[in-house]
Amino acid sequence: MKKIALTLTTIGLISSVYANSVINATKMTTDLSKITVDSKEWKSAKFTDIVLYPQTTIKMNDKNANTKNSDVKAKKAKVAVLVNDKDIAFLVKWADGTKSVQAGHNSSYADGFAIQFPENFSNPKELPYIGMGSEGRNVVIHLQKAVDAFYEPNGNQDVAHQVSRNNSPYFEKELQVFDAKVKAIASNDYQKAYVGAGFRSMTEIKDGSSKFSSDMQYGKKEWSGTLNRPLKDDYLDLTKNGSFPVAFAIWDGENSNRDGLKLLSTWVPIVIDTKNDTLKVVDTLTTPVKGDVKKGQELAMANCAACHAFKGTEGVTPSPYMAPNLSNIGGYSTADYLRESILNPQAALVPGYNRNAHKNFAWYNTDEKGNRTSTMPPFNWMQPQEVEDLVAFLQTLKAEVEK
Amino acid sequence: MSQRQLAMVMDLNKCIGCQTCTVACKTQWTNRNGREYMYWNNVETYPGEGYPKKWQQMGGGFDASGDLQEGVIPHIEADYGIPWDYNFDSLAKGEQLKANAPLTWGPNWDEDEGAGNFPSDNYFFYIPRICNHCTNPGCLSACPRDAIFKRDQDGVVLVDLDRCQGYRYCIAGCPYKKVYFNPKISKTEKCILCFPRIERGLPPACAQQCVGRIRFVGFLDDEESQVHKLVHKYKVAIPLRPDYGTQPNIYYIPPTESPVKFDANGKPIEGSNRIPAEELEKLFGKEVHEVVKTLKAEMKKRKETGESELLDMLIAFQHSEMFRLDNNYYQEHAKTKGYKLLAPVDDRYIKGKNTKKISFFKAHA
Repeated sequence: MKKIALTLTTIGLISSVYANSVINATKMTTDLSKITVDSKEWKSAKFTDIVLYPQTTIKMNDKNANTKNSDVKAKKAKVAVLVNDKDIAFLVKWADGTKSVQAGHNSSYADGFAIQFPENFSNPKELPYIGMGSEGRNVVIHLQKAVDAFYEPNGNQDVAHQVSRNNSPYFEKELQVFDAKVKAIASNDYQKAYVGAGFRSMTEIKDGSSKFSSDMQYGKKEWSGTLNRPLKDDYLDLTKNGSFPVAFAIWDGENSNRDGLKLLSTWVPIVIDTKNDTLKVVDTLTTPVKGDVKKGQELAMANCAACHAFKGTEGVTPSPYMAPNLSNIGGYSTADYLRESILNPQAALVPGYNRNAHKNFAWYNTDEKGNRTSTMPPFNWMQPQEVEDLVAFLQTLKAEVEK
Repeated sequence: MSQRQLAMVMDLNKCIGCQTCTVACKTQWTNRNGREYMYWNNVETYPGEGYPKKWQQMGGGFDASGDLQEGVIPHIEADYGIPWDYNFDSLAKGEQLKANAPLTWGPNWDEDEGAGNFPSDNYFFYIPRICNHCTNPGCLSACPRDAIFKRDQDGVVLVDLDRCQGYRYCIAGCPYKKVYFNPKISKTEKCILCFPRIERGLPPACAQQCVGRIRFVGFLDDEESQVHKLVHKYKVAIPLRPDYGTQPNIYYIPPTESPVKFDANGKPIEGSNRIPAEELEKLFGKEVHEVVKTLKAEMKKRKETGESELLDMLIAFQHSEMFRLDNNYYQEHAKTKGYKLLAPVDDRYIKGKNTKKISFFKAHA
């Protein structure tokens, strides 16, 4: 396969045949539910490289952060997965020259990582939108951030310890006791689980019904983060088939990363049971596109550039807010998502900006019942080969990978 | 847009910069739990850099075509200034007095400095600022999590702390920089227009405590309310920096009265005005000139005839007329939406479009 791919690239038919990474989970018999970065279990794990690309679909409105991230490169991360009968554990390692922990003031941002699971992956050609799902295609997300002590908004109704130390009635030793108590009621592990059907809808699971644990450690200019969760819970059933897709995201606090300012991967197949792999997630996600990049580029300039911005559309696209920016679409989309979005944009709707932020550029229309219709018309009149050409071109749209 | 809009009018001719509103707000809401550096209400001197420092140059808001603009998030040390305290306890042990944080900026850092040369043409005036509870809020539009909402019943802009994830894009989006990040809970907090007070028949703390009686509170659509009369009937109350495109609901009566300038010999220059018209235009837009005309005309009328409804209002004789909080409206809203509202604690301000009956001492019945 590699050989054919290489030949095809050289004759200019395909550019981006470099297939996705496939992560093979290592079978374990030991308990994984308490695993952390330090656990010895990781010694037997195999690491696979994945690439995370800067999110550029929508532009955030923080001027300084945008400047810092204007030419951010894609980043490699190493992922290992362990699995036993009940639980699954992930270890993600990525290089980060600066350790950023969100400290107690408003100008500090945290490093962090997240792992996203599709709620339903029975048809790997129709996965949720990579940006935290889409309507009818939910995702579950586990987030871990490096945040110093933080508190519940209502302080668990302990009013006395919400008072500033300057306003407390204490001095000297009593004040030290007060400080210690305040410190003790803080949470130190910023780990959260969410469900989402598109990034605006993301909602935290706060009732403890998602049992998971994650951990983050920094050393040798590198972050290591682990996540362990049950294979099966109220939200997900990962045991149904031998494989399932996940997506990864990392944040760099030094670059004021948070929310959409992040690096994210495409859907990456995880294989936990090769014998029982009936779904062919791996095949679907790794089959190279057979299209002509050059023809695809011409098609994109003729059909997409009037709304979508990407490299080469400078001066063509009238507004940056008009439609999803495609500059890194090749980095974090699957070929099937691209095909689906061309032929039936309605299938996975991108929530886009707040409807109030760019009123002239709605990405979807809403009827009285709340049904959303994409503003983009279906391009289903395209010839199948044209679609392949276009997808092959779109796959080339991605930032350079950091060395 | 909300069903109705609660609004406030502040008469800048009468603000003496005493900061009673600031303190009222601070003790009510922001003296604790990570909010120490926040000033949901502050009074700044104009010309001056304000709080946070140079907020008018920090972006946010909308351009003419309605697109949300990029903005800057103020820095805690450089732009807000870390609230400091002194080591008073240790002085008895012979230590030197020192602050526990670097002294970089604060909410009244450049108070009373103003501009111009003393005594010929120096001037300043005060601008009390709270969240504008905009009809087209920049903060709401910037939130990627849809955590900020405008209450349907009265248009108060609030943050849903369950949805807020502390991304701080709202701060960049608000051109008035009246949204604050609470580092302790890692979420955003802002002025809530004292809605828990409003719902119980009390005006916002800043308005009730104002010793200059510069603040009027009421619904914009309530034709009996002084807020409606000042904004819509006499058109003398206008929003701050309307060019930001957020359609604020806090209105200001611009300062019209200032002493005359002095010439080189120290003689008053008759007919001169220390507050430059272009500065007022920058703050309040072109409408300000019309407002100044109206106010001058009404003052003249009052002098000549002894009568002027507008000036009677601006004298602010009665709190009970300055605040019309329409308590029945809130009670009805609560009933139809099925939530519980507590009975009013004060019946002096509960009048309104839907609250006709005033039964003193019987408000709870």
